[in-house]
Amino acid sequence: MIIAALADYFPMLLFAVLFLMAVGAAISLVTQRNPLYSAISLVFVFLSLAGLYILLAAPFIAAVQVIVYAGAIMVLVIFVIMLLNVEETEQPGRARLRYLLPTAVVLAAVLFAEAAFIIFFVHGTGVDRANAAAPANTGLTANIGAGLFTTYLLPFEITSLLILMAIVGAMTLARRASVLRPTDVIVPGAQSLTRHTLASTQLSETTPVITHTTAEAERALGLSNAPHRRERG
Amino acid sequence: MNWDNPYIYALGKFVAINVTFIGVLMIVAYTVLAERRVLGFIQGRLGPNRVGYGGMLQPFADLLKFILKEEIVPDKATRFVYFLAPIIAITAALMSMIVYPFGPDVTLPFIGRIRLVIAQFDVALLYVLAITSVGVYGVALAGWASNSKFSLLGGLRAAAQLISYELSLGLSLVGVVLMSGTLDLYQIVEQQSGWYGMHWNLFKLPLPQVLGFVIYLISAIAETNRVPFDLPEAETELVAGFHTEYSALKFALFFMAEYVNMFTVSVLASTLFLGGWNGPFVAQLPLLGVFYFLAKVFFFLFLYIWLRGTLPRFRFDQLMSFGWKFLLPVAILNVVLTATALYLWG
Repeated sequence: MIIAALADYFPMLLFAVLFLMAVGAAISLVTQRNPLYSAISLVFVFLSLAGLYILLAAPFIAAVQVIVYAGAIMVLVIFVIMLLNVEETEQPGRARLRYLLPTAVVLAAVLFAEAAFIIFFVHGTGVDRANAAAPANTGLTANIGAGLFTTYLLPFEITSLLILMAIVGAMTLARRASVLRPTDVIVPGAQSLTRHTLASTQLSETTPVITHTTAEAERALGLSNAPHRRERG
Repeated sequence: MNWDNPYIYALGKFVAINVTFIGVLMIVAYTVLAERRVLGFIQGRLGPNRVGYGGMLQPFADLLKFILKEEIVPDKATRFVYFLAPIIAITAALMSMIVYPFGPDVTLPFIGRIRLVIAQFDVALLYVLAITSVGVYGVALAGWASNSKFSLLGGLRAAAQLISYELSLGLSLVGVVLMSGTLDLYQIVEQQSGWYGMHWNLFKLPLPQVLGFVIYLISAIAETNRVPFDLPEAETELVAGFHTEYSALKFALFFMAEYVNMFTVSVLASTLFLGGWNGPFVAQLPLLGVFYFLAKVFFFLFLYIWLRGTLPRFRFDQLMSFGWKFLLPVAILNVVLTATALYLWG
């Protein structure tokens, strides 16, 4: 009975498929020349990791993995790559690889040593295995939520504070990088600009600036000796 | 029938998946026809009514045409990604169908008692959100791989829009999840079965989810790239947006993915807010639940078509500021209000 054999080994088979997919996509991630292909490979790594989480009876972590990493962060990465449109000719020189290769070998050795340690010393004790058999529903949403809001409340709140700080920091940096005076407005038609460069919060007290050439617009924006200008010239 | 037997169980699931697959695709096909007929009615013209009685065979004629048309791949397209994009789009759209709760437990002749849902698990709602968020790649990569400026702009717009509205969509559902205490779609529906089947989350105490429902509807329209949020394929400025360079069956896959996504968000709307298969007399006649469920879904599909015939398109900066500065804060307010109401009166 082929089907019966398949049914018995199905979790193993799934694990093998997901594992091969994760490792293959990870190898593809580091070897691709095109950054977009690397990003797509990373998406596949995340998806196969989500599958592995499901095999470990942690469906909530799996769903969050897909929503946050594959669905949001990697979309932003691909968005930036598409905006920049990096040429394939931009290759890292040999000089960089010279010290990267030994570093990679050392780090890989550390990783394998760690994995071997876990396999031979932690997993083999038998105590963990006996405990692990019982709580098969630790990964369920309700249990994770209860844990986050009782036992691990302080780390949870501190993490949210860290994220808030990151948001405030990003906003401060974005504000500082803005080259526009808050009262400047570019009239559409003469020169087109991406609208997010305008400070729309103060649009009520604006003085319109009408420009007809790129040079004029750059002067109005305070961009006349911006770095990109010098690079081209 | 003995469902404990793994072979019968697997066969049952196989049949269920195929029936749902074909059913969803048929509904999608006829949604397209309904859209064309209703739009025709709104605009004072007839719409396609020649193939079959009242145009009933038009979807099949269209499908045949899509299959027989010549495939044109742009010369400078990145071929692998170009082929991958429509596959991602349609796969991500169709994968969410396994958690649709079509109806309550029913007793069918020769089969016995079955539950009209393919897979029931703990994180069903998160699963739908996760799968639909992966669908963004289909659109974004299609725009990038076509090597056309219209496609690229459409893809970029789609990526930005979907990411922005995903937040308010997710947050608008948190209110319902707080009231239900579960992410399992089937259990969420079951909890709305009181009051002769009218105990819907839309009217349910302590806090009727009216605000969440409105936010969900708006962001769901934006998530599916429909009018008035169809910036990624705005034909007046971008030709056809991300699928400009796609032809024949590859275009059909994008087209189908869009309508399957419409179906999915309609299913979520009726499941989470309008009680899913609940309605009067479902307890006496369980099969009536399937009718109620589909009626609610069709109502939302009709709403989509109606909006398309009525509203003009947003400008892109309006879309962004509406999503981030209005919808998202209101969605957060809804979460806070629901949590407070549950704490005080729950």
